Amino acid sequence: MSKKILIIEDEPDVKNFLEQLFQDEGYDTVTASDGLEGLEKLSEGKPDLITLDLQMPKDTGTAFYRKMHHNNDFKDIPVIVISGIAGRHLAVRQPVAVFDKPIDKEELMRKVKETIG
Amino acid sequence: MNGDLLRNSKMESWFCKELFEQVPFNIAVIDRDYNIIEANKNFADYFGDWHGQKCYKVYKNLNYPCLGCNARLTFEDGKSRVSDESGVDQRGKEAHYVLHTAPLREHEEEPVKYIIEMSRDIIEVKNWQMEYQLLFERVPCYITVIDRNFKIIRANENFREKFGDVVGRQCYEVYKKRKSKCPNCPAERTFRDGGVHRSDQVGIKKSGERAYYMLTTSPLGRDADDIAHVIEISIDVTESKKLEKEVIEAERLAAVGQTVAGLAHSIKNILMGLEGGMYIVKKGLKKNDNKILEQGWEMLERNFNKTTSLVRDFLSFSKGRLPELEMVDPNELVDEIVNLYKDVARNVGVELVADLDENIHKAPLDPKGIHTCLTNLVSNAIDACRMSDRDENEVRIRAVDKNGTLSFVVSDTGTGMDSEIKRKVFTTFFTTKGGEGTGLGLLTTRKIVKEHGGSISLESSKEKGSTFRMDFPKNRLNTLYKEGLSKSGESN
Repeated sequence: MSKKILIIEDEPDVKNFLEQLFQDEGYDTVTASDGLEGLEKLSEGKPDLITLDLQMPKDTGTAFYRKMHHNNDFKDIPVIVISGIAGRHLAVRQPVAVFDKPIDKEELMRKVKETIG
Repeated sequence: MNGDLLRNSKMESWFCKELFEQVPFNIAVIDRDYNIIEANKNFADYFGDWHGQKCYKVYKNLNYPCLGCNARLTFEDGKSRVSDESGVDQRGKEAHYVLHTAPLREHEEEPVKYIIEMSRDIIEVKNWQMEYQLLFERVPCYITVIDRNFKIIRANENFREKFGDVVGRQCYEVYKKRKSKCPNCPAERTFRDGGVHRSDQVGIKKSGERAYYMLTTSPLGRDADDIAHVIEISIDVTESKKLEKEVIEAERLAAVGQTVAGLAHSIKNILMGLEGGMYIVKKGLKKNDNKILEQGWEMLERNFNKTTSLVRDFLSFSKGRLPELEMVDPNELVDEIVNLYKDVARNVGVELVADLDENIHKAPLDPKGIHTCLTNLVSNAIDACRMSDRDENEVRIRAVDKNGTLSFVVSDTGTGMDSEIKRKVFTTFFTTKGGEGTGLGLLTTRKIVKEHGGSISLESSKEKGSTFRMDFPKNRLNTLYKEGLSKSGESN
């Protein structure tokens, strides 16, 4: 069974781009437009990896991460931060990687493969 | 006076003794050598013990006769005199009194052997005078008194300092460096109707600097029909005007700083959208799949458009220009917007209604600026309706001219806002529209409104709708307009 990636991102085009990128590499994708929806998607089925934007209208990426981390079922899911804001490397305690926008897609794919195969 | 009364011997003795003691004057009698030979009780109470002393010692604590002594003159020519004097009272304090000197003799022909000196304390009057003088000169206002020919007959220290030595010159010449009377002269109105009139004025100081002042003209005369003078009192608001401008400028700079940070974030998202579009186009080409190609192309287009609107909003926001005011009909501005958005609104189930005030007058506004404001507010209102659960919604634009304020009011029946959003709507790059909004619209609107000297306010309740209100005090619009005219006059 292929690995599942949860993409949390409010910009529809960025979301679409990441979705295509991962699908083309053979991953399953689930998407959420904000932190709240992200938590809902988590409870529907545990993903193998999460890409997380930080600045979103409802519930920021940081708040999402904090809530996720309090749940023992989810706290070990690897997180990759993809955000354009300054201080993005500080927002999440132990991210697998942090990417600035626009992303280096080769580097992103390399990191994803390294993390979940 | 009745002669019989004096013939009554009791009354006569009363006049001789009691009047001397009880008359509210200090009375002393002196001889030619300035010795005080008699004085009443009031005198002793005021100046202290006088027995066997010279008058100059008692009045002024001097050891020699006063310079310009009036008593001396009265001794010589027998004529009465009055003078203002300063001396020392019995407690050693400064005393101010009016002194009458009169010869004391039975017949006009006799040489004057004695003089009666009657004095009365005027220290209170003196103090009032000093207080008034101090107030007139030092009060942090400009004060001038002008006559019916607009000639300045008095000016206080503050005014003289800023406008030069001006007494005797024409008021309009001094205040505004004009050669003839100002149009709508408030002093003229006060002369005419006896009323107090207030107005905002712009003058020119002796340094050549502009002076912005709030002028009050009040009548100075016995009654409304007999106004000989008008007193002009002004508060100089040049400094606070300057500060106001500096604050606006500082706010603008701070906003620009925040804006740059926010701008970077928006651009990054757009770049990523473009990158995504390119990726998908490439994929479509590789697979020779038109559907994928189209999807990618749409993404490129969308992000290109976003760049365009971001740049446009950003430029209009960062521009610090003064509004270019011209006399326009507010109703026309509203009509323009309604025509522009009517169809767009109808397509998404929103009825756009103009609610016009028939009695509205033309007002000095920057039509481009107000157009931008209304565009922003109306497109926001339509978006708010689109996001609501109701199928039919209404956006209403009103132009109202009431109590000296011109207002544009845009209300919608859309989603409304909670307090959190209300708090944030005027901050840079805040948007509830996801990728659609630039987060600059309301900020730009507020900036334009402020540049017009106006204010913008917001009322909103969740699920019921929002009302944005732009208020423009007309006196400020008029002042800005006059300034604009005189500036463009200068540059020509």
